[in-house]
Amino acid sequence: MSVAAKDFKSDLKPIWCPGCGDFGVLQAIYRSLAAIGRPAHEIAFISGIGCSSRIPGYTTAYGFNSVHGRALPIAQGLKLARPELLVLAAGGDGDGFSIGGGHVPHAVRRNDDLTYIVMDNQTYGLTKGQLSPTAPQGLHTVTSAYGSLELPVNPLLYVLAYGAVFVAQGSPADIAGLTEMIEAAIRYPGFAFVNVQSPCVTYGDESQQIKVHKAVMKKLADLGHDPTSRSQALERAQSYGSELLTGVYFCDPDPPPTLGARVRERQEKMMAAAKPRAQILDTFVQH
Amino acid sequence: MSPTRNVDFATLTMKEALDLAILIEEEAYDRYSELADQLTQHDTPDAAHFFRLMMANEAKHRAAFAEHRDVLFADAACGVTRAMIFDVEAPDYDEARAFMTLRAALETALRAEQKAHAFFVAALARVTDPTVRTLFEELAAEEIAHQELVRRELAKAPPDAAIPTDAFADEPVGE
Repeated sequence: MSVAAKDFKSDLKPIWCPGCGDFGVLQAIYRSLAAIGRPAHEIAFISGIGCSSRIPGYTTAYGFNSVHGRALPIAQGLKLARPELLVLAAGGDGDGFSIGGGHVPHAVRRNDDLTYIVMDNQTYGLTKGQLSPTAPQGLHTVTSAYGSLELPVNPLLYVLAYGAVFVAQGSPADIAGLTEMIEAAIRYPGFAFVNVQSPCVTYGDESQQIKVHKAVMKKLADLGHDPTSRSQALERAQSYGSELLTGVYFCDPDPPPTLGARVRERQEKMMAAAKPRAQILDTFVQH
Repeated sequence: MSPTRNVDFATLTMKEALDLAILIEEEAYDRYSELADQLTQHDTPDAAHFFRLMMANEAKHRAAFAEHRDVLFADAACGVTRAMIFDVEAPDYDEARAFMTLRAALETALRAEQKAHAFFVAALARVTDPTVRTLFEELAAEEIAHQELVRRELAKAPPDAAIPTDAFADEPVGE
């Protein structure tokens, strides 16, 4: 059965501010899901809280707009319980790297077969523009009126340092490139992380808007980057915040087993070694 | 950033070229529809109304290409898909703004028509089939004509208010 991008578009109309970067991300998700070719009822989309976390509702996949910062624990649980589903998780940089920051390393090290898309806009847009974990030092917001004193979290280094096997960064300024990246992330057998620089048109900094992205973004592929080298990825990722590099930073050419695969292997071993049912029941019978 | 994927203009046939033209109009129709919905939701009726007019225009163009295609190729299978095109004539998502004026909406449409014209001009450099070349030359000329139409509407549009429209939206705190 062939599926088209429009098959993933729900009847719910996005209420994001006109001009929001998330519209382009949503379009790239529709298109990448169409390229994957699985029907909507075989896909589950889990999010936390925030503007970008509304995204599951705008698709026809099963969706759960859950609790702030908790998209990943729910997505992991779902994937373990229903391994046949294609599971996506999404949210903003605040949801992923502040409120849910503690969950990211564990999702990375467990390496279940999930795709995690972060719409990184360096602000808490839904609550009207407070400082978020990826906001650059010096940024003026309603909670940093004289400029932020804090260094930003670097989401790319964060996940690479914990051993992420697939790490990419895109921008809705290049929907075609972002579509390819999300498709590659979904196809990768393991925890795949896609950081999308998705500007907040209302509270975001002028230097972070899509028109600026179009002018300054550079493709990793054009820079001779080797996406199979973790050390190159770590080096390139350090420029997060000072330059916009897009593409796949790292894709482990030898994917390690996923958590699901390890769980199934353990289950099979235990089943093989298990006593027959009658024998187990017999142990509870008093003789 | 190329607006097409896996389209080989050097070997493009007339049937594929017409299919491509139809899909380009469909994509533009869908995007204007999305932008009109966004602006309706965000209390920007003039721009939303204009984008709905653009939807009607794109639908009209699509129907004309579909009719042409039907005459030449009847029910022959479509050789290209929407997955092969990215924002050829569709305005970019980041063009829309809450409270944008009619003038800003017209300027958005003008940029979309200019983008489409640039696409056909770039494609012409690679097209080899003479019938496709003629079609693309006509399409490029049509895009120029559409630009003129939009420019005429721009000349009639009221000037923007002295207070910028984004003054009505919350802004980041400055120094």
